Amino acid sequence: MGTPCHFALFDLQPGFRLDLDLLATRYRELARSVHPDRFADASEREQRVALERSASLNDAYQTLKNAPKRARYLLALRGEVPLEVTVHDPDFLMQQMQWREELEDLQDEADLDGVATFKRRLKAAQEELNESFAACWDDAAQREQAERLMRRMQFLDKLSYEVRQLEERLDD
Amino acid sequence: MALLQIAEPGQSPKPHQRRLAVGIDLGTTNSLVAALRSGISEPLPDANGQVILPSAVRYHADRVEVGQSAKDAAATDPLNTIISVKRLMGRGISDVKHLGDQLPYRFIGGESHMPFIETVQGAKSPVEVSADILKVLRQRAEATLGGDLVGAVITVPAYFDDAQRQATKDAAKLAGLTVLRLLNEPTAAAVAYGLDQNAEGVVAIYDLGGGTFDISILRLTGGVFEVMATGGDSALGGDDFDHAIASWIITEAGLSDDLDPAAQRSLMQTACAAKEALTDTDSVEVVHGNWKGALTRAAFDALIEPMIARSLKACRRAVRDCGIELEEVEAVVMVGGSTRVPRVRDAVAELFGRQPLTEIDPDQVVAIGAAIQADTLAGNKRDGGELLLLDVIPLSLGLETMGGLMEKVIPRNTTIPVARAQEFTTYKDGQSAMMIHVLQGERELISDCRSLARFDLRGIPAMVAGAAKIRVTFQVDADGLLSVSARELASGVESSIQVKPSYGLTDGEITRMLKDSFQYAGDDKVARVLREQQVDAQRLIEAVEGALQADGERLLDAEERMVIDLQLDELRELIKGTDGGAIEQQTKRLSQVTDAFAARRLDSTVKAALSGRNLNEIEE
Repeated sequence: MGTPCHFALFDLQPGFRLDLDLLATRYRELARSVHPDRFADASEREQRVALERSASLNDAYQTLKNAPKRARYLLALRGEVPLEVTVHDPDFLMQQMQWREELEDLQDEADLDGVATFKRRLKAAQEELNESFAACWDDAAQREQAERLMRRMQFLDKLSYEVRQLEERLDD
Repeated sequence: MALLQIAEPGQSPKPHQRRLAVGIDLGTTNSLVAALRSGISEPLPDANGQVILPSAVRYHADRVEVGQSAKDAAATDPLNTIISVKRLMGRGISDVKHLGDQLPYRFIGGESHMPFIETVQGAKSPVEVSADILKVLRQRAEATLGGDLVGAVITVPAYFDDAQRQATKDAAKLAGLTVLRLLNEPTAAAVAYGLDQNAEGVVAIYDLGGGTFDISILRLTGGVFEVMATGGDSALGGDDFDHAIASWIITEAGLSDDLDPAAQRSLMQTACAAKEALTDTDSVEVVHGNWKGALTRAAFDALIEPMIARSLKACRRAVRDCGIELEEVEAVVMVGGSTRVPRVRDAVAELFGRQPLTEIDPDQVVAIGAAIQADTLAGNKRDGGELLLLDVIPLSLGLETMGGLMEKVIPRNTTIPVARAQEFTTYKDGQSAMMIHVLQGERELISDCRSLARFDLRGIPAMVAGAAKIRVTFQVDADGLLSVSARELASGVESSIQVKPSYGLTDGEITRMLKDSFQYAGDDKVARVLREQQVDAQRLIEAVEGALQADGERLLDAEERMVIDLQLDELRELIKGTDGGAIEQQTKRLSQVTDAFAARRLDSTVKAALSGRNLNEIEE
């Protein structure tokens, strides 16, 4: 058997919808028991083990906390390990290009208000995607769609990172 | 395994006795040591009742002077009096050259790229200078608390990179201190403040010291201090305010830029005094040689505006990294002497839309927080529940890839401890080795990031280009220190070559310094530690010899026996010398290689006991 899945670690039902507050509380409880600080005066071996367990716990928490990562993880758990290949999603491809162009324009115009609006729309789009994923996740017939949605979520996640970078560049 | 394990010196005290541990704030301008006494964390005073130890070290031919008296001599003996040494920790010579006009020392290179400072007592590395400060604090603590220390929590700026952290740990080692944890300064302040006020929610710590600036955003939830993001500038602090005033004086007084070291120092002191005076008045008279002028608060504010702006930019970035808005920060705490400057307080209040908190002395709050954690890490039970500090790495970690680009493996603000792996491959047919260059920073080009270390992975089996799969694993521990390992997946070949730190001390340099510290410090404690290491080593040697004699033939094959003998011989040799660090390392190594042997002996005894037979009967 391998290591328990992330959901089991936090004593949660595997699924896309997640009570993030509950996850955070469980994380803090678990962190208390495995953190290296708990083993500051223990043997070197115990300290090494604590370090590894802590790192694993942190990784599991980061995965479940972030919606696209959680979605990807769920797909991986189900045996569908998504490959880093381009997926056929022509509809979304158009949207991707539009999002990107808008961001470039905002940069060229140094439009801070525009960026704020963009962020709000982006957030709304992400929430919509999360809902769609949750809806199709439980339906076996929609497997392919789930993977497509997960990739869209990843794209928007990356985009919001780029928005932060743009905000930083404009902050001068 | 129990049979061959040796207890570390200092462990297993009487159960009712408190284990002595301290928190140390090793600051750019001032240092402090604090401890928990009767449940209260407080800084420890020296013989004159002073808690602050100026971070100034003066080298005479035959002795070392640390503290206020050294600081007082800074203008008259500038080349042998080292101040603000923290700015040199973990830096290379090219980094420090640009600080030249603030730090007038004679720099020379060492084996590593670490800058050594020429003094009348010989060349000193920043690590040794820091160690001299730490020694004084250690001695003060032991005298005040009346016993040996189990260890210390030493604080570092949250924005310190791996090289700067490693240098701090090396300094502690040289000072004879066991580092329980390297703790980020803002986190330490959050602990002191959070526990004092029973605070909950999102808190920002704005920490402006003499040479470094940190901003950390934490979430406090019932004893758990979770850092959400951290940022800063490890080359921005009160010293820069002084420098700005000094430049102003030079312009106003029509002086030449090219001042001798003593004059430079004297000017900086005048500037610092003016800055401090302006905290309470609107205008101050400034005298330098024959020149007299007046510096108004308004003029001073204008001089420091660009620096404050830099700090606010870092604040906005940290808030953005958290994914929150400025309004969601519920409290802002001021830490560090430089936050006494009125314009700094006003600027921070403007940014966060609330008055910053200044109740706990900004000079002491970091040491106070560190002492609280030290007490817990030493194994003492804490009233009021367990403390948990969840910190993050401040800068992204990554590797150099083709074309001089930095590929990030662990992004900044990832919670630590963390372990991540990344796979790479060869680019030439039959390539048998790979150089791994580890860097820290946010930029795309490696030339814009900090080089941490380089190491070689050798012995990659001959394959077509692109066929080999090399997995490089990064692991960052709770101190924020990085270890890297590399492994070729098909063959299982692991990296076995020494990591060459780009800006750290080589092992050779550290060993030499430890040896030197015996000579110059005339320190009984250091000699005693060596004795203890020799005693531990001797005990282990005897235990292994006995075990080999009893069960070596029976339980070990020829190859295993050879490995153990090799390590045993090595330790027998080292124990004759005075290299305490090497003895300790080799003791650990011998313990590791005999681990499995000890386990087998135990199993064998257990088996025999269970089957009701004795060992001699089992031997067939």
